[in-house]
Amino acid sequence: MKFPKVRNLRIGGKADAELNEFAQSMKPVSLWADAWKRLRKNKMALGGLYIVAFYVVACLAAPILPIYHYEDQVIAHANLPPSLRPAGEVMLDTRMAYMGKVMKAEARTSFNAKEQAEIQAMKADVAINPQHKRVYVLGTDNLGRDLLSRTLYGGRISIMIGLVGTITATLVGILLGSIAGYAGGRVDNFIMRFVDILYGLPYMLVVIIMMAVFGKNVINLFVAIALVSWLTLARVVRGQVMSLKNAEFVEAARSMGASPARIVFRHLTPNTLGVIVVFATLLVPDFIMSESFLSFLGLGVSAPLASWGSLVSEGTATMELYPWQLLVPAISMTLFLFAMNFLGDGLRDALDPQSKNRA
Amino acid sequence: MTDEVILRVRDLRTYFNTDEGVVKAVDGVSFELRKGETLGIVGESGSGKSVTNLSIMNMIPNPPGKIVGGEVLFGERDLLKMPPREIREIRGNKISMIFQDPMTSLNPFLRISTQMMETIMLHQGLGKKDAKAKAIEMLALAGIPAPEKRIDAYPHQFSGGMRQRVMIAMSLSCNPEILIADEPTSALDVTIQAQILDLMKDLTARLGTAVILITHSLGVVAGTCDTLCVMYAGRVVERGATEDVFAAPKHPYTRGLIKSVPRLDIASDGRLSSIQGQPPNVIDLPECCPFYPRCDQAKDICKKKYPERSDFGNGHSAACWLYSEAK
Repeated sequence: MKFPKVRNLRIGGKADAELNEFAQSMKPVSLWADAWKRLRKNKMALGGLYIVAFYVVACLAAPILPIYHYEDQVIAHANLPPSLRPAGEVMLDTRMAYMGKVMKAEARTSFNAKEQAEIQAMKADVAINPQHKRVYVLGTDNLGRDLLSRTLYGGRISIMIGLVGTITATLVGILLGSIAGYAGGRVDNFIMRFVDILYGLPYMLVVIIMMAVFGKNVINLFVAIALVSWLTLARVVRGQVMSLKNAEFVEAARSMGASPARIVFRHLTPNTLGVIVVFATLLVPDFIMSESFLSFLGLGVSAPLASWGSLVSEGTATMELYPWQLLVPAISMTLFLFAMNFLGDGLRDALDPQSKNRA
Repeated sequence: MTDEVILRVRDLRTYFNTDEGVVKAVDGVSFELRKGETLGIVGESGSGKSVTNLSIMNMIPNPPGKIVGGEVLFGERDLLKMPPREIREIRGNKISMIFQDPMTSLNPFLRISTQMMETIMLHQGLGKKDAKAKAIEMLALAGIPAPEKRIDAYPHQFSGGMRQRVMIAMSLSCNPEILIADEPTSALDVTIQAQILDLMKDLTARLGTAVILITHSLGVVAGTCDTLCVMYAGRVVERGATEDVFAAPKHPYTRGLIKSVPRLDIASDGRLSSIQGQPPNVIDLPECCPFYPRCDQAKDICKKKYPERSDFGNGHSAACWLYSEAK
């Protein structure tokens, strides 16, 4: 018994091109192009992206921007409020406003001789000293340093810590997580117990001890933050790899003779990238927060360097008298963190293939 | 087809250790594959067809699976005893596989070109450019229109049938000696099935590739295979040239299978016959013929001992007590 053979259907003697006139042809669209398309539709995420981009550019360009250096001190200009006018005028105004208060308190109606003399001297100094032509758009701190400049330079350090932490976390997390997930068994056990142990250590204590033992500088701060940053990501990647490693395409890759390393890094990690990218964008604000926290506690960067955390910390000391010293770095930081979170959220939606062709 | 045997599987045993007990998924399977031959392996779900072929490639996930015995001779060498590095050189190069579900057997994140070129570059040592040219050539052979345009597409931009064509092109790109096709058409719709089988047959004939075709469709076997193994509960119950087996099936199970295929040339009373009952659970099977509870010709001896293999000439043999006497 033979079953009839089925041949490909051929209509007459038509050429392939003719037959396939209406054949579907699609442009190859990668996941990233697709995700970008969806991200662009999300107003919040796009706004976040623009803000983040603005911060990054502004902070990177800080040395070449027409601003004062973050270490420049003009003691006479201490605690000036934000203003677009030259520093000399602002200084005079604040001084005179203060004297006015004293005058009222002492129930006088005019300045006394000493005050008059001080104002005269100040006016004369403002007229000849070019230093008083400076403009502090966002005010100054208690040592007469430009807050705008300090916030921008502080942003450099804060954002750098966020990025360095995230990059280390991502690299180490992907490496160890995917090895643990793919190898399984004893290797997996070993790596994951190591992660558990690191998790078990109180993070702040580790950082404090590290800063105490190795000294307080930016590099040590990086190391301390990076040391524990990769733990969660390693777990996430491990979980992803574990769920993917029995997928048929992995088996297919094995049947094609691919080595384990190749399967893990060529076939599996690209599949987990979506999750990793989202996770990484949400990690950046996390690191900035923890750096701020450390700086706030006095464990972060030390003067004259600034980070957003240390600026906020300095600002809180004087917030009743000179609120801008707190508000300027606090608002800059909050805005950046907001933007970063919106961007992360947008990326999560954009990279989720389920949301394709929706909305 | 020549008489040169390129793959010899002897007494292969693959067990899985599960919480419920030892699953003897493959329990003493033997067969031979000659150069250019197409061998069909048929059987119900769970009869050990796929595990047999994963064992040949030494790709059983361990744990829980373990190849506990037997040998797979490819030429002179036993694939089961090869170190991983060497067997990787055989996989995809000398022996390649096509999987059941083309929707999941291509990596969704990589372009077709990346995946095809990877194999070619790995095994043939070609540069990027040559590998791409070769990949395009293979896609054209596999009947993908405008392959130079489609090669940079992603798997989700292909239909199921197209993806299976890509898989075929990929698995044949290193000109392997053996192609293992694990139910290559089960996940495709009927109109595409015939095309894909035809393509496989055509290409393997042209390239002189031997094929092991796993399927549970007897129609597919009859149309494409030279020889045939019928598997039941991890063992080969009958094997022989396709024509012999279809003309004179010996094992009651084979007979049942053939009877349960609708026929156009024989008038029927409207009901299709089927084999009663369910295939057995292969955990802790006693030393008996596993088919006897469903067999209408079962004898006492069937419950006690697994039958010897009886030979009917021309390579046709069956393991059934109907043909051999208990000693």
